[in-house]
Amino acid sequence: MTAVPISIRLGLGVQARRAIGNAITYLLLALFSLFVFVPVAYMISTSLKTEDQLFIWPIRWIPNPIAWENYPRAFVELGRIAPGLTFWRILSNTLFITVLAMTAELIAVSLVAYGFARFRFPGRNFLFIVMLSTMMLPGIITLIPTFLIWRTLGLIDTYDPLVNAIWFGGGAWAVFMLRQFFLTIPREMEEAALIDGANTFQIYYKIMLPLVRPALLALGVLIFQGNWNNFMGPLIYLNTTVKFPLIVALKFFQESLSKEAPKWHYMMAMSTVMATPILVLYFAAQRYFIEGLMVGAVKG
Amino acid sequence: MYVSAWETYYPTLLRWLAVGGGLIGLMILLQKLLRLFGVRREVATGYALILPWILGFLIWNLYPFARSLYLSFTEYNIFQPPKWVGLDNYVRMFRDEQFWLSLRLTLLYAAFNVPLGLAGALGVALLLNRSVSGIGIWRTIYYIPAVLPAAAVALLWRWMLSPESGLINFMLQPVYRGLNIQPLQWFTDPSLVLPAFVIMGMWGVFGANSVILLAGLKNIPKELYEAAELDGAGNWRKFWNVTIPMVSPTLFYNLVTGIIGALQVFTQAFFITIPRRAGTFLNVLIYREAFAYRNMGYASALAWVLLIIILLITLLVFRSSAAWVYYEAEVK
Repeated sequence: MTAVPISIRLGLGVQARRAIGNAITYLLLALFSLFVFVPVAYMISTSLKTEDQLFIWPIRWIPNPIAWENYPRAFVELGRIAPGLTFWRILSNTLFITVLAMTAELIAVSLVAYGFARFRFPGRNFLFIVMLSTMMLPGIITLIPTFLIWRTLGLIDTYDPLVNAIWFGGGAWAVFMLRQFFLTIPREMEEAALIDGANTFQIYYKIMLPLVRPALLALGVLIFQGNWNNFMGPLIYLNTTVKFPLIVALKFFQESLSKEAPKWHYMMAMSTVMATPILVLYFAAQRYFIEGLMVGAVKG
Repeated sequence: MYVSAWETYYPTLLRWLAVGGGLIGLMILLQKLLRLFGVRREVATGYALILPWILGFLIWNLYPFARSLYLSFTEYNIFQPPKWVGLDNYVRMFRDEQFWLSLRLTLLYAAFNVPLGLAGALGVALLLNRSVSGIGIWRTIYYIPAVLPAAAVALLWRWMLSPESGLINFMLQPVYRGLNIQPLQWFTDPSLVLPAFVIMGMWGVFGANSVILLAGLKNIPKELYEAAELDGAGNWRKFWNVTIPMVSPTLFYNLVTGIIGALQVFTQAFFITIPRRAGTFLNVLIYREAFAYRNMGYASALAWVLLIIILLITLLVFRSSAAWVYYEAEVK
């Protein structure tokens, strides 16, 4: 190979080469950030434009005039198509589902994970492997029979399928994550409590739960995000428009609007509303998002 | 007909409390019963604690799993009882053009999205690993697309790639003019649906993957690079012979989860209407057959085919891993 690095041919020193390397690195990093930011900025910018500004080139990144009224108007428009489905109604529907599902999942998951982490019983390892393998199962395969179960129970078009099924053990992934945390707690803590005469429930509630609180918080954040974004569930179980959570309302809005001219400023306003709570949560509890991501990747 | 919010909430809330309370009651009952039959305390408590999951596994996994296999051999429209039709649903699939188009779109999407996403993510992770300053800030930024709701991402990209007035076609105007061609129609042109989805998918995927890969890179001991340097290895050799083998388990993990995820795209595909001639994603096809046309039997058969495809591909990747994934603890 006769290829001599260009920097050597130019007679640059080690320091200069490093400076060039760093400059290129930062340039590339900045380019990737642009790739992330431009679409997000485009979403927010579009959501604040009046209709006539949508199709102007060159793009007006900062709209003039700024149409703050797009946000309330988008929901007024939605209320016109689906009477009674106001912004506050959607918000309360979404929170109702999310809070109930999250509470049930955290309680169920922490009990099951505690059982798998701390008690020896015949068949434990086998059952744990069975649980892990359910993670591989595509959700669509159980979807139709599950729908039929709820139909037999007469609970279609109620919130039950979205908040009650979760009582039964929660997500396998969440159990796995929490079990890993329980395993890191030294056994001496429980043994000491046992000698003091505490029963299992007291040990679980008074000692174990406070110790895994960071993990529960992390899980809570991720479950909140999962429920906020869950689309297939509310889509197949809810029929009455006033019962819709945000994501289904968004789909309904899009479908009704596409019959007329696409009102992208309203669509982007709704998308921004959908994304904002998750983004705020992400910036506030970023550590938890990334930790949760790592549990599967590094320890698994 | 208007129903107040509370009217729709409280029946569910009551049942929610009943189910939760009932389950905890059952757990206590099981523990006491087992104790009564002379089972050791630790064993009894253990079984009682995992009871919710055992019930959930039977009700929400095992039973539906078996039922959907049965349904896949029947014709079932919900209103009449299922009628056994043998392999008819699977035969029908062979002749169903929508199925083949959708299978093609789904597989091609996975085939492009996963490797490109991994390569891009590895590139970003390598850059971040070059002891740059403000690593936390970069990481935070790159992860943003992965936390945005899929629905919002889908609408956003549908708008970005809008043929007449989307940002992308605006930016490509000089290219179109230079080459003297019509603007690309993206999601509305059957032959461009795939690239449009791949571009959108890449945006969501590389951030999360690069954060995971970066953690993998940080775990590589410095001594390995020093040893390689002593042996006279250049940057390229160090990359191929140290970096790649050492991050191969992380790459493998991302590859497996990436493939499984890509084959099950639903929300994004559901929010973007594409021409029928382009097919659709398998999950959307299954949803449509089941809940729009009420072909529960045919939809179950499609779901089973998707499961088998996912299992086969996963198995293939696992088999191949012996050749390229390097585990440190392993004695070769």
